[in-house]
Amino acid sequence: MQIEQLQIFEIDNPHQVSSVEVHAQVLITSWVVIALLIALPVVATRNLQTIPTGLQNFIEYVLEFIRDLTRTQMGEEEYRPWVPFIGTMFLSIFVSNWSGALLPWRVIQLPHGELAAPTNDINTTVALALLTSVAYFYAGLHKRGFSYFGKYIQPTPVLLPINILEDFTKPLSLSFRLFGNILADELVVAVLVSLVPLIVPVPMMLLGLFTSAIQALISATLAAAYIGESMEGHH
Amino acid sequence: MRSISEIFAPLSYWVSAAGISLNTDIFEINLINLILVLSILFYYGKGVLISLLENRERTISNTIRDAEERYTEATEKLQKARIRLQQAEIKADEIRISGLAQMDKERQDLVDAADNDLNGLEDSKNNAIRFEKQRAIEQVRQQVSRLASQRALESLNSRMTNQLHMQLIDYHIGMLRSMSNK
Repeated sequence: MQIEQLQIFEIDNPHQVSSVEVHAQVLITSWVVIALLIALPVVATRNLQTIPTGLQNFIEYVLEFIRDLTRTQMGEEEYRPWVPFIGTMFLSIFVSNWSGALLPWRVIQLPHGELAAPTNDINTTVALALLTSVAYFYAGLHKRGFSYFGKYIQPTPVLLPINILEDFTKPLSLSFRLFGNILADELVVAVLVSLVPLIVPVPMMLLGLFTSAIQALISATLAAAYIGESMEGHH
Repeated sequence: MRSISEIFAPLSYWVSAAGISLNTDIFEINLINLILVLSILFYYGKGVLISLLENRERTISNTIRDAEERYTEATEKLQKARIRLQQAEIKADEIRISGLAQMDKERQDLVDAADNDLNGLEDSKNNAIRFEKQRAIEQVRQQVSRLASQRALESLNSRMTNQLHMQLIDYHIGMLRSMSNK
């Protein structure tokens, strides 16, 4: 059992699809997350009523939360088109993290690797961070045209190298923050379980739930903040 | 799993070909801890979530009910205001009509008064004219009688002799005697 746990440190064996290597276990868990996120609204928006009850009330609450988040970061005029993007970021990261922590993935045993949260793979988090990067670039260019590149010289041209560096460190920090948090939580829980299988890992798992939720919120908030910052122009 | 397409193959073939198996070791799959965590989550989270959602639902229904009440109130007030507007219009028409009538009447009164004044002045003018005419006629008559008596006196003075005078006196005495005898 010990060796099995430590196998997490091995590079997961990639498998071939035509000429592209894929990590199938991340794909499987990602598909489960996608299925959950599609099924939930479909089920909840049957029988829409003016005064919401039950599941409709819940997802309306989630939608209001995301909308508030976006509105806080981007201001009143231009937040509306970005709510779906920020909502997707937040919900996918949140459901990924919590599904990895709560669902008993280890029931299904794969010959190579194991199933866990899809965000414990650097590929997933880097993909999300690059999406955010592309999004805020698009937002800035769409809103301000080529004068968007003037932001590199704000407030003084001396800061030009730092501003350029910022464009690389933003996705880097986003991806590594999420990846590090989720993977570390999984590793700690695994180590604790290998030491004391029963009650002791529970507080760590609860803390893991809490921090993974915070990480989802942080990723979404930062994405919204970057987009808002690139749209607002210089002061 | 040699390729992703094999995932869509029948499950048994997939399982046997790829070596996927169901792990039933409780400790390995952390089932007990997971159940514990899930139960704690549900136990505490359910209360919070349900109260939150109920709050939201109640707020929404209150807001909707308030909005509907204010809507009915507003339509009622609109109705009442319309009725009052109609009444006010009718009254305004009445006032206007009576005002016009009064104006006509007053104009008529003024015209009548002017006519009366005119007639009065005309009468007084006629009276004055008549009075003056009478006076002039009186004066003329007086003048004529004076002239006539003056001439009679002159002719009498020129023709009178003593004898004629004595005959005249005897005639007048005889007439007076006959009158006293009647």
